[in-house]
Amino acid sequence: MNLNVMVVDDSAVMRSMIRRTLSLCGIPLGEVYEAGNGVEALQCLDDHWVDLALLDVNMPVMDGEELLTRIRASEEWRALAVIIVSTESSDTRLARLRAHGVEIVHKPFTPEQLRNTILQVTGLSHAAASNDFTVPSGDFDF
Amino acid sequence: MLQPATTSLFQAATSTFESLALLFPEQQSADGAEFIPLEAAVSVTYHGAGTGRVVVGVTSGVLPALAENMLGSAAAPDQQLQRDALGEVANVVTGNVLPLINGATAVFRLDAPVAAGETPFRVQAGETQLAFTRLQMDEGEAIIALFTRTDDHPDVSQAMTAAAEA
Repeated sequence: MNLNVMVVDDSAVMRSMIRRTLSLCGIPLGEVYEAGNGVEALQCLDDHWVDLALLDVNMPVMDGEELLTRIRASEEWRALAVIIVSTESSDTRLARLRAHGVEIVHKPFTPEQLRNTILQVTGLSHAAASNDFTVPSGDFDF
Repeated sequence: MLQPATTSLFQAATSTFESLALLFPEQQSADGAEFIPLEAAVSVTYHGAGTGRVVVGVTSGVLPALAENMLGSAAAPDQQLQRDALGEVANVVTGNVLPLINGATAVFRLDAPVAAGETPFRVQAGETQLAFTRLQMDEGEAIIALFTRTDDHPDVSQAMTAAAEA
């Protein structure tokens, strides 16, 4: 199964870094959609089928926490696999986010951390992901 | 126990430069930092269990290196991407330094990074500089400062200042 992934982050550079990590880490990828805030992400969900969402928390217009609340309130998307990719470190806020059934990847993150978390939330086995997970020389952490 | 703010800022900044951008800084003396010719500076404002801003400024060699390393591109990214890369560095530094100073239960909300203006490191009316660090890399220098407002949440600001001075 190829995963359609939605990357939601207000930084174009971070979206590109995540997209690059996804392409490098051996996950069977379908389409990768990008959104710069929660409103754009909801529009993306209206327009496309998505298997996995990677959400930043602090974003303009609509932040990741409100987006997550709306996703979980939606009949169609309440079971969507979601990973929060954020600098968020507050135990209070992280507990609120985890109550929505998400996993957290803290920035800065390593490609391995993101890959392993994706495998965990999607239920993909390591065998399903390519074994030739190689990061080009010089690329260690994001 | 919370550590001094300058230690926390140095720790958050070096970790971010190393992990996010593969640049490996060493701490420099703050003396003369005001004379460093900065190519760009961005500011991230935070709200919540305290209000203030974190400013990150870099010299000319650091800016393209940040973007090239973060994007993994052989060609030099354009200026907009370079400034976006610096903004993401500032965002990650801010998100990581605040819990080091305030503890893991404090909740903060971060605004999007913005260009920091002509005198980004000047203390503005109603704020205090909690921490300052100057980093030296092969590519150039970076200056990072943490400010907190003292006029809207005086109790929290006093607590942050006390933590900074601990």
